[in-house]
Amino acid sequence: MKHSVNRPPTPDAAEDQGKEPTLQEIINIKLIESGEKERLMELLRERLIDCGWKDEMKALCRAHVKKKGRNNVTVDDLVHLITPKGRASVPDSVKAELLQRIRTFLMSAAL
Amino acid sequence: MSGPNEDNNTQLSSHIFGDLLDSIIVDVASECHRIAKLGLDRNLEEEEEEMRLSAQARARVADPSNSSETNTKYVVDIFGQTHPSVATEIFECMNCGRSIAAGRFAPHLEKCMGKGRKARLKVTRSSTAAQNRYSRGSPVSTYSPYSNSTSTNRLSNGTPSVAGEEYSNGTYEEPWNKT
Repeated sequence: MKHSVNRPPTPDAAEDQGKEPTLQEIINIKLIESGEKERLMELLRERLIDCGWKDEMKALCRAHVKKKGRNNVTVDDLVHLITPKGRASVPDSVKAELLQRIRTFLMSAAL
Repeated sequence: MSGPNEDNNTQLSSHIFGDLLDSIIVDVASECHRIAKLGLDRNLEEEEEEMRLSAQARARVADPSNSSETNTKYVVDIFGQTHPSVATEIFECMNCGRSIAAGRFAPHLEKCMGKGRKARLKVTRSSTAAQNRYSRGSPVSTYSPYSNSTSTNRLSNGTPSVAGEEYSNGTYEEPWNKT
């Protein structure tokens, strides 16, 4: 008999049955499927451009590139550079608006 | 609204907001990275180039071996061009109509328009009365024919020798000057 007959069952089937999707994942899926995630992203993008946040981040990047030389910079560098400052400098009004919309969605998604 | 659900909601919302923000941050970083790599940021390019060139120029100036070797006759300018010491473009003199080289234009105008003795004689040739005036310092009554034929020349001639002579004459009348 061939060895292949006795091989163990392929893993993915077992894995799928073993795990429950987390609340996080369920919500994420609902967000994406309803198109709300896309809308929220666009809204946030627009607000951040309007308040100059994006320009600030781009200026940071440009300064970094100038310092390091443009051939020595990776996307990772820039992400790590911007993330802390970016998160801290979102205007409160923008954050509040987005949070409100997300909460509304969560409630309407009946959770 | 009831307690635990509310807290959960708030936490979830914050988490979702954080996710959205992270995605946008990655987008911005990626965009800046692209601009940097493709050299689309003109300012960056120009600054790098300027710095390189200024360092180069500084090195050249500081280099002592350079100054003695420079041929002063054929100095090269910043565009790499050499110029002859006398300008060679040819213009037409607006006074006499001759073709004059640019580098010889000023001396030519001097002679042609009246700094020199010969030029003034040339100009006043048409009226002997004015010629008399020149040689004798005669009164201003002889001035009017003089001004008619040569007023434009007179106006544009800024050399002090001519003007001084005229103005020093106390009875100098200037009807033509007001036009």
